[in-house]
Amino acid sequence: MVRGLGELESTIMDHMWAIKRPASVRDVLEHLQQERALAYTTVMTVMDKLHTKGLLKRQPVGRAYIYEAVSSKEAYTADVMRASLAASGNRAATLVHFLERLTPEEASALEAALQVYPPGGRSS
Amino acid sequence: MIVAIVLVLYGLLAALALPKVLKRASWADRAPRLGIAMWQAAGASVVASALLAAFAVAVPASVVGHGLADLFEACAALLGDEAALNSTSTRASLAVAVLIVARVGYMGAAVLLRARRERRRHAEALSLLGRHDGDLDALVVDYDERLVYCLPGRKGHAVITTGALRSLAPEQVAAVLAHEQAHLRGRHHLVLAAAEALARAFPRVPLFEQGRVEVARLVELLADDVAARRHQRIHIATALVGLATGSVPAFALGAGGETALTRVRRMLHPQAPLGRRERITGRLAVTVLLAGPATLAAAPGVAAFLAHHCHSLLSL
Repeated sequence: MVRGLGELESTIMDHMWAIKRPASVRDVLEHLQQERALAYTTVMTVMDKLHTKGLLKRQPVGRAYIYEAVSSKEAYTADVMRASLAASGNRAATLVHFLERLTPEEASALEAALQVYPPGGRSS
Repeated sequence: MIVAIVLVLYGLLAALALPKVLKRASWADRAPRLGIAMWQAAGASVVASALLAAFAVAVPASVVGHGLADLFEACAALLGDEAALNSTSTRASLAVAVLIVARVGYMGAAVLLRARRERRRHAEALSLLGRHDGDLDALVVDYDERLVYCLPGRKGHAVITTGALRSLAPEQVAAVLAHEQAHLRGRHHLVLAAAEALARAFPRVPLFEQGRVEVARLVELLADDVAARRHQRIHIATALVGLATGSVPAFALGAGGETALTRVRRMLHPQAPLGRRERITGRLAVTVLLAGPATLAAAPGVAAFLAHHCHSLLSL
């Protein structure tokens, strides 16, 4: 059940990110029902949750709300990825990055180290 | 009392001098696992010496060697006898012991809980953004920056961005993900959390400060080594370079430059692993660090025990 809702969250967000314009619960429901049967209240609950999480913003229109994605998918991804890097700097226990961010000088030092490696030993 | 003084002196010496000795050790790069164990043992040794010093003041040494029953009896007497408990040195030393345990416990819990909360938040965001790739056994996120990392925990997994996938050859991707799997399987986040907790519990103590930095570095070397068992070292090295170059770092720079260089060099020019004798010496050092404080604390008790029983043997 929980996993189902999580999946629905991601489906709804993908739809909201794709259409890039405001939509009511009814609009979203109609789109989703092309693929599977869903109750209006289910979609309403999930969209309300996404609003609580700060992913959707909404405005009351009549007796219902019109929802819209707070930011584009790209911008949201950038925020999340940046946060992940910031977290790995001080709190190593949270995430472990393959490589910390390097300065351009450090990066070219790495490249130089690879250059001096005898080409015969390179297999890639 | 002498025991307490010796233990305190040992603890101070270890906290100040051990990081210098351990940091100079070039063998750690050849045996990262042993290096990590050494830093952990050193940390545990210092904390244990402080705790035991406090207990040595509180509990008379002469009862330590006489078996557990006598020790418990002495403790019970201590708790029951208000006069003994009220003596300033006993109360102060017990307070110190409680403080040390509480501080380490609190910081450990704080570090773990915060990390877990942030991981959960991040995992929630990823559930909207990432798609699981069964072949790679990793979450793929649409993002141009070249990032590879792992999200530890019970349902831990590796994460790779499409930017990284585009810039790396398939065999490099496999090597990088093997490195991340090594982190996940080895539960390296707990190793890092422990080092972090000690450094926060006792700030500005050289052993813990440098321990945190060194353990974070050695964990990377260890994961490289594990990945190198199944993948060619050159792929790990080229992947490191591929991920480091080309992208303009737009935000927070990490302090990973020197470590990254070490890692590339290690992968390109592998040094021989430690010999048998060096390994045994290393393990012996770990044992001494772990057992040292307890041995020091028990020495007078054992001496008293021997004196007592040898005396009774002699008088037979």
